[in-house]
Amino acid sequence: MSEKIVISPTSRQEGHAELVMEVDDEGIVTKGRYLSITPVRGLEKMVTGKAAETAPVLCQRICGVCPVPHTLASVEALDDSLNIEIPEAAKLLRELTLCASNVNSHAIHHFLIATDFVPENLFAAAVDSVSEIRKVSQYVVDMVAGEGIHPSDVRVGGMASNISELARKKLYARLKALVPKVNAHVDLMEGLILDKDLPKGLGAIDQPVFASDKIYGNRDFFDFDRFTEVMPESWYGDEEIGKKACSTIPLYDGINVEAGPRARAAKFGGFTGKGVVAQHLTRAQEMKTYLSRAIEILDELNTSAPTLADYDLRGTSKLGVGAIEAPRGLDIHLAQVGNDGKTEFYSALVPTTWNIPTMGPATEGFHHEFGPHVIRAYDPCLSCATHVMVVDDEDKSVVKNEMVRL
Amino acid sequence: MVLGTYKEAISARATDKAIQKVSQDGGIVTALLSYALDEKIIEGAVVAGPGDKAFKPEPLVALTSDEIISAAGTKYTFSPNVWALKNAVRQYGLEKVGTVAIPCQLQGIRKTQSYPFATRFLADKISLIVGIFCMENFPYASLETFISEKMKSSLDLTEKMDIGMGKFITTTQDDELSIPLKETHGYEQAGCNICKDYTAELSDVSTGSVGSPNGWSTVLTRTDTGASLFSQAVEAGIIETKSMDDVKPGLGLLEKLSNSKKSSADKEITKRVDMGLPVPF
Repeated sequence: MSEKIVISPTSRQEGHAELVMEVDDEGIVTKGRYLSITPVRGLEKMVTGKAAETAPVLCQRICGVCPVPHTLASVEALDDSLNIEIPEAAKLLRELTLCASNVNSHAIHHFLIATDFVPENLFAAAVDSVSEIRKVSQYVVDMVAGEGIHPSDVRVGGMASNISELARKKLYARLKALVPKVNAHVDLMEGLILDKDLPKGLGAIDQPVFASDKIYGNRDFFDFDRFTEVMPESWYGDEEIGKKACSTIPLYDGINVEAGPRARAAKFGGFTGKGVVAQHLTRAQEMKTYLSRAIEILDELNTSAPTLADYDLRGTSKLGVGAIEAPRGLDIHLAQVGNDGKTEFYSALVPTTWNIPTMGPATEGFHHEFGPHVIRAYDPCLSCATHVMVVDDEDKSVVKNEMVRL
Repeated sequence: MVLGTYKEAISARATDKAIQKVSQDGGIVTALLSYALDEKIIEGAVVAGPGDKAFKPEPLVALTSDEIISAAGTKYTFSPNVWALKNAVRQYGLEKVGTVAIPCQLQGIRKTQSYPFATRFLADKISLIVGIFCMENFPYASLETFISEKMKSSLDLTEKMDIGMGKFITTTQDDELSIPLKETHGYEQAGCNICKDYTAELSDVSTGSVGSPNGWSTVLTRTDTGASLFSQAVEAGIIETKSMDDVKPGLGLLEKLSNSKKSSADKEITKRVDMGLPVPF
């Protein structure tokens, strides 16, 4: 006899989602479905028809958790559409911004999973080290990108300005001093995650990994022809869930994929582990990778070099791709700028959207009590992942699905 | 209180001849900011630096004494220093910022410290504000207009501007020109007419020529920060002082002018309110 366990909303994640698990007599999940119930943002429609520079300013407001990756993906897409080659120093400053932002985001995730792994006697220490790491990494974003939350200085064509030599030295010193703290924090979290004794193989799946780069992101990776999108009604195989789900299902080569730290580690670091523990460990390790890359950038940055390219805002309707490795996976923005300098088409294919169809099935084969563990290992963030709008409130159907058609 | 809250009023000037040469009066702003920088009380200062056009200042994030000295001298048109404070703490990476501000700018800065909307992690990094006495400020086009049409000169010919003894005075290479101050009325920024602050009451330490003899400035120390910086600078020999009681025209004139700014602003405020116009106070 199968029973249905519904967790709604799933907790300690960003945004609202629902986990529906069909379980057998032993409580083992036989079918897992994970769906977004976060209302639509509609930013892609909002930026269409407006001046191209508007897109990064609006799109960064898609969410307060990942404003930096969204801004970067947006300007990268516009740079690509307008055929802009940005100055070398701007590339470094953009990557530095992302590294710092991703350290911050991973630290926040450790706060979210603290009650799963951290015993009471270490709780204060773990939370304190999360706070300290966040403070320093956000300070970097503040200085390099103008604002920690909605960065003002990441621009089409590069960065608004370089940082001063004083700022470079200061950031270098602060990040150097942060190294032992991050190392200790990562050791602590890794130890606690391994000590937890989660069932072997929990959350392991065989889906292809979806990652473009070890750190920053690479637009050449994304092949538009290999991408398809299906409506939730046809994906979930459950009419009620299909209607309730707020996100479309993106597929690459016709199948669902896994994005995020483990995907990056598997593709670029030869990492072979799978499942919940592997995801947590690779996420923790990435904090070290980002930090050392940030220090390297600060070491080589020329603070008197130009950071903004001259460019013509009149486009040629080229489909520009911006690909940024956000904390939770590959964030792709697509943009087309017309010859009047206005955005003709815009689409955001965001990290958690890629993971949504994969997360549900990843709960299968284990007791439903572990379901939330599996979900949290993906660090889902639903805010930007919603692209479907219910037009007919009576029957909750997605009547107007051209909203999501490319 | 007509001069706002202050601890001590004193007549002073910078001892450094290099500062005296370029300063408007006693060189107090330049001396205090340079001293604060040298003593690491601040890491840099936002000042009204030289711009592309004559007498049109541009905010400058100064990281050295030389840069601070390059900004010496009064400019009678606006330098949007408040705007550059964010640059100073972001791209420049300053965590202890000093700045020089006229009363209206001070009101803005102090407001950001009470309500830091859009000034996140900025307000707490402003460590020193040197205020300057200000009766009114002219838009750049106003200066151009009355210097050209009333004084029959031009900004390019002008080497120094001053206001004193009821006159607006410009010095050219070989001449000193002046018009009565009342001839400039109507050319000031409209907001100046409802501003009730003459002596930069919200600053840490404020200064201006009125009350002291030529080449000297009147200084009002207001906060602990301002008072301790000033007394350290005096102790270090950067600044020399005279008691206000010993100088002419003395504090009385400062009080008189401050009173007159407040009462004429009150009149204008009443007038605007009666007309149904919004006033910020």
